[in-house]
Amino acid sequence: MTDRIKEQLSTFLDGELPDQETALLLKRLERDDELRGALSRYSLIGAVLRNDGDVPAARQVAARVSAAIAREPAQDGTGLGMPGRGALLRSGGGLAIAAGVAAAAVLMFQQVSLRDETAPVAVLAQSAESPIEPVSAVDDADESLPASYVTPPVADGPGSLPPAQFANYLVAHYGYASPLVRRSVGAGLISTGDEAALAEAATDARTGQ
Amino acid sequence: MIRSRAIAVVMGLAAAAPAAAESGREWLDRMTAALNGSSYVGEFVSESAGRVERLRITHRVQDGVVSERLVSHSGSGRELVRENDEVVVYLPDQKLAIIERRPSRSDLLGALPPFENEMDSWYKVAYVGRETALLGRAAVIAVRPLDGYRFGYRLWIDEDSHMPVRSELSDAGGKVVERLRFTQLTFQDDIPDSAFEPALDRSKLRWVRQAPQIADESPGWRAVQVPPGFRLSVSGLQAVAGSSTPVRHLVYSDGLASVSVFIQQPVPGKAPVEGSGRSGVASAFSTVVQGHQVTVVGEVPPRTLKVFATGLRPVTDGAAVIPAAVSASDRRN
Repeated sequence: MTDRIKEQLSTFLDGELPDQETALLLKRLERDDELRGALSRYSLIGAVLRNDGDVPAARQVAARVSAAIAREPAQDGTGLGMPGRGALLRSGGGLAIAAGVAAAAVLMFQQVSLRDETAPVAVLAQSAESPIEPVSAVDDADESLPASYVTPPVADGPGSLPPAQFANYLVAHYGYASPLVRRSVGAGLISTGDEAALAEAATDARTGQ
Repeated sequence: MIRSRAIAVVMGLAAAAPAAAESGREWLDRMTAALNGSSYVGEFVSESAGRVERLRITHRVQDGVVSERLVSHSGSGRELVRENDEVVVYLPDQKLAIIERRPSRSDLLGALPPFENEMDSWYKVAYVGRETALLGRAAVIAVRPLDGYRFGYRLWIDEDSHMPVRSELSDAGGKVVERLRFTQLTFQDDIPDSAFEPALDRSKLRWVRQAPQIADESPGWRAVQVPPGFRLSVSGLQAVAGSSTPVRHLVYSDGLASVSVFIQQPVPGKAPVEGSGRSGVASAFSTVVQGHQVTVVGEVPPRTLKVFATGLRPVTDGAAVIPAAVSASDRRN
């Protein structure tokens, strides 16, 4: 994999790759296992570096990831390591990152914790025209494109909804989903996902539950 | 006959009335018309929650019948095929197919609800400008929520065909949680039936049928506390895989976003579940209300789901529906 491709990956993760180049990159992703693996790694790196959680812990992990980046061999012989690191680090004071995309190994159903989102805090949408100061700690948002691409917090644990049950209800909901997002809901249903979840669904089917 | 993009451009230019184009609502109306009347084949990329999925879509509107096929390019062979009221999700890697049939086809035509005045209370629609998208020039439209109970949308509507060729779903902080981009789009008038046949051996699948909903005048249960702007639009009973008894299904909508509420009777020997989940743009929240399993699913922020789930009561309670409290500081208009 060349430095140029690595740079494209990084820029893609930052959401800054032009559409035409994105199309070419995606086509290449379909046939290039190594590239998909790199995208997964870089996405993980971005998620780790994103400064939206336990900052000290994130920094510790980020330091390890940074070291891993430095160790990553330059396979094209240029000795440049992973270009795009600067791009990965450049937004949000070096820790915020436009990440959240992964390649082939993805989870269809992610178990999320609602604790933070349902805490008794004001939930405000942002508006450049709004004269009201938001009381929640959210970033500015205006008519410009969002600067970051976030992966919502994910937490496994006892608060998880059984994935098979979720899948069944999601299929029932699909037809009522907003036309604006119905394709996205459908995409979620057929995404390559959590094999355990789907195995559970298959078990339900066999047992007739 | 496959219409070339050039032809589509010419047709679009003839119908677009560009002189009156710079209204967000008008662009949404045009998009709705395009979604309702177009037959097309395309490829798009969906990015959400740490995943990238490349999919192919075949969509046909023919004699009032809407057919659609979504195929994952991940190599799993998974597909979603719908024809009006019936949706089939094929999961060949799990030897499983889930069939969902609904009694009414009206909602499946892909129409956006009309942006009536009431919606102004919850969304602001604005024309942002023109951008060059992957498939050409597009009008960018922002549909922004005025509170935190719903997501915002940014739409890139093709200048010529009026199709949404790119979209982003944003949370209350303005951060993108889902992005969808078309990389190919071809309009085609005569898509054959064979284009909607799944490319797999259906005889090897185990079929799970989620039976039609039974019309039910009385909801039995209702949300006594609802997020502002949401109204009950559908109520019924239906079979859902994994449940041995009919599940009550209530659908609430604010005219743009929708939320499904499922209420399942207690099952002896089976402990109810409390928890949450997420799949792409859709989230779920499940809890127990008076011994019943309540699961809420929708393309809204998780907080909204929890308001619904915890505000449900049997109708026999006689409780009146009240909107979730929204303080002045919660609103930003």
